[in-house]
Amino acid sequence: MSNAAIGNKTVTRQKQTSGLMRRIIKNKAIYLMILPGFVYFLIFKYIPMSGLIIAFQDYQPYLGIANSEWVGMKHFKRLFTEPMFFTILRNTLVLFAINLLFYFPVPIILALMLNEVRRAFFKRFVQTVIYIPHFMSWVIIVSISFVMLSMDRGIINELIAMLGLEKINFLMSNEWFRPMYLLQVIWREAGWGTIIYLAAMAAIDPGLYEASRIDGANRFRQMWHITLPSIRSVIIVLLILKIGDVLELGFEHIYLLLNSMNREVAEIFDTYVYTAGLRQGQFSFSTAVGFFKSIVGLILVMFANWLAKKIGEEGIY
Amino acid sequence: MKKTKASMLLAVVTAFTLLAGCAGNNAGNNAGGASDSAAAGNASGTVNQAEAPQEPVKISIMANLHTPEVPNDKVERLLEEATNTELEFQWVPDGTYDEKMNASFATGTLPHAVYIKNQTSLIMMRDAIRNGQFWEIGPLLADYPNLAALNADVLRNTSVEGKIYGLYQERPLSRQGLIFRKDWADKLGLSAPTTTDEFYAMLKAFKDGDPDGNGANDTIGLTDRSDLVYGAFKTVGSWFGTPNGWGELDGKLAPEFMFPQYMETMKFFKKLHEEGLINQDFPVTSKTDQQNLLITGRAGAYVGSMGDVVSLDKSITEVNPDALLDVQNQIAGPDGSFGVWAIPGYGSVVLFPKSAVKSEEELKSILAFYDRLMSPELANLIYWGVEGEHYTMEEGKVVPIEDTKVTDREVKPYQALQIGGPLTIQGFQEAKHVLPSKQKAEELTVNNNDYLIHDPTAALDSATYTQDGVRLQELIKDATYNFMLGNLDEAGFNQAVDNWLKQGGQKIIDEFNASHAQSQ
Repeated sequence: MSNAAIGNKTVTRQKQTSGLMRRIIKNKAIYLMILPGFVYFLIFKYIPMSGLIIAFQDYQPYLGIANSEWVGMKHFKRLFTEPMFFTILRNTLVLFAINLLFYFPVPIILALMLNEVRRAFFKRFVQTVIYIPHFMSWVIIVSISFVMLSMDRGIINELIAMLGLEKINFLMSNEWFRPMYLLQVIWREAGWGTIIYLAAMAAIDPGLYEASRIDGANRFRQMWHITLPSIRSVIIVLLILKIGDVLELGFEHIYLLLNSMNREVAEIFDTYVYTAGLRQGQFSFSTAVGFFKSIVGLILVMFANWLAKKIGEEGIY
Repeated sequence: MKKTKASMLLAVVTAFTLLAGCAGNNAGNNAGGASDSAAAGNASGTVNQAEAPQEPVKISIMANLHTPEVPNDKVERLLEEATNTELEFQWVPDGTYDEKMNASFATGTLPHAVYIKNQTSLIMMRDAIRNGQFWEIGPLLADYPNLAALNADVLRNTSVEGKIYGLYQERPLSRQGLIFRKDWADKLGLSAPTTTDEFYAMLKAFKDGDPDGNGANDTIGLTDRSDLVYGAFKTVGSWFGTPNGWGELDGKLAPEFMFPQYMETMKFFKKLHEEGLINQDFPVTSKTDQQNLLITGRAGAYVGSMGDVVSLDKSITEVNPDALLDVQNQIAGPDGSFGVWAIPGYGSVVLFPKSAVKSEEELKSILAFYDRLMSPELANLIYWGVEGEHYTMEEGKVVPIEDTKVTDREVKPYQALQIGGPLTIQGFQEAKHVLPSKQKAEELTVNNNDYLIHDPTAALDSATYTQDGVRLQELIKDATYNFMLGNLDEAGFNQAVDNWLKQGGQKIIDEFNASHAQSQ
């Protein structure tokens, strides 16, 4: 697309374009196969993006985009001057950092461990068991933790009481919110996250292991010098993609955990948009916040990608 | 040559884009066209009606579906016959009602009559109503004998800037009260509490007096949930004399949480929490879990809608056949008087969008239909169904048939159409309740009518409240819970109120007071 558009500028470019066109004609069957995906992105991703216009309007559903009043940066000004803005930004970034530091390595470690399992039956069994939580909705996971962590006969608190310690109010405290969030994320997603790593490990040439064994490397050395370097590019790509999701911490999950007692650490952009924006029908403000989030995400992805290339990795584009 | 091919590719892509766009537009146009022609047909129907009454009036209605399935058309046909209309229903499931309504609104495809889900939804519609998107019907109501019976106060609560735009569906003004374990109270020698002190004593006895007789200290008093309005807090607040949302302080309207009674209520709950008389997790407890505490015999008291006694009684006797529930409403506060907060008297409101109802003639024919709908025969038909088929009469009262599947399929959805209710329709049939506590709950609901505390801002307007009210209310909600759990002292709470004032609360107060002065 972009090549074709720029193609008119210079003669050299035109030649390149001609090359592209020739390739397209030559491989038209393959390009035809891309077409549905291309149209999909156009219709469902790019065209709806034009709706971002309402972030600069006072959008009223009955007036439509065409007739709503233009207000410029009003909603962005409101966002940046909200008393809660810095709390929300901090919470979002802290939860993101926790995610990156503590959750991100878990699937890698799990995959390395599974890779060392020799009995195929046992390996597959463990894999299936750790995938299952991924298919449970957050409502179920949060409900289960509520039942377990409750102060009234929650099993964990009963155990704590049996040990003669004081019961801990996990559900309604600022201190326990983040660990609780992290554990739930790990429990649900870690198993699922191993899939890509295991696939990458399966593609490693067994000859490398053989050679290293002849050189006298033990299992740990093999893991360190062969397995990990071989999946390094996969790790980097997933890391960049993860960073792109910086502000997508999962509305549903956090909203379910959020209450009056832990709001100070639990309120993030998504939950804030829900109470301040959508529940009062302020579509423009909600859109403005979403827009801001996406821009921050985009900048972080570009930065991570630049960094990856700088240290000699491939990046995602 | 090659350049042309590049541009051809572009052209193809553009064509695709346009095509997609057009498809969307066409759909919109078609829908618009359909409603136009329906409207046109309707208009001519009205004209014809004057000359030749046999021509039925076409009316399309969007209503809230509370049952899983769309009803069959038995009642609909009876209705059409009786009112000489041709009805077309758009049943929308309760869970997605607001979204569907907003979407229809945005695309200009609303039907002739639109039921608004609840009071909050109506407040959201105020902007659109002010903008002239709906017909004002206030001056016309007097021409219709049944519609004229609608309560002026309740109509005023639904009004926007003093003008009436909708017909309302009646709701009991206050169902709030106490449901408690009568068998526990009897065993401990307690009678139904009549003051907040007696209420406290009952909760304490339920915790310490081993009411279930198992020798272990494993019961609590009150079961509550994470809802400051429909949970226990607001109702107990009324007992202490807290105003309903807003009240008059030194001649000016002020929010409830600036009143000393609100602080008293919070202290009361703080004490309950400290002494373990209430479930410790109540700020995060769901309604199901709250009710389960009562059903499983862990808690002995429940404050909320007294009508809940029916479902609670059914579940509790399955667990423990000896359990007995009773209801109580009049619990006086420290100053010796009893009060209970009231809703604005309506559940749903039906509006008539100008996009569908094209002329005043048409509006009048639709109002005529609603006037007929408020006649006792039709009001009973849509609420109870057909006598002998869906209910029988005993001692002049309705006894619905046992098989709720039949009533769910044939009658219950049409209850959503009801306009008015027992207070405004002479000859509206009452139900005969088999369960004595349900019968008592109904009587106490009527008794509540003598002690109502109204929300003075129900009909008032504040732009800041519409824009920021929900978010600001979160500040107060957080502070209230934190106070009750002991995380915040009185000074801390007052600081939260100051925050509320600074972040827009003062504006809300000023705007409500201005609106109040204007309406008088």
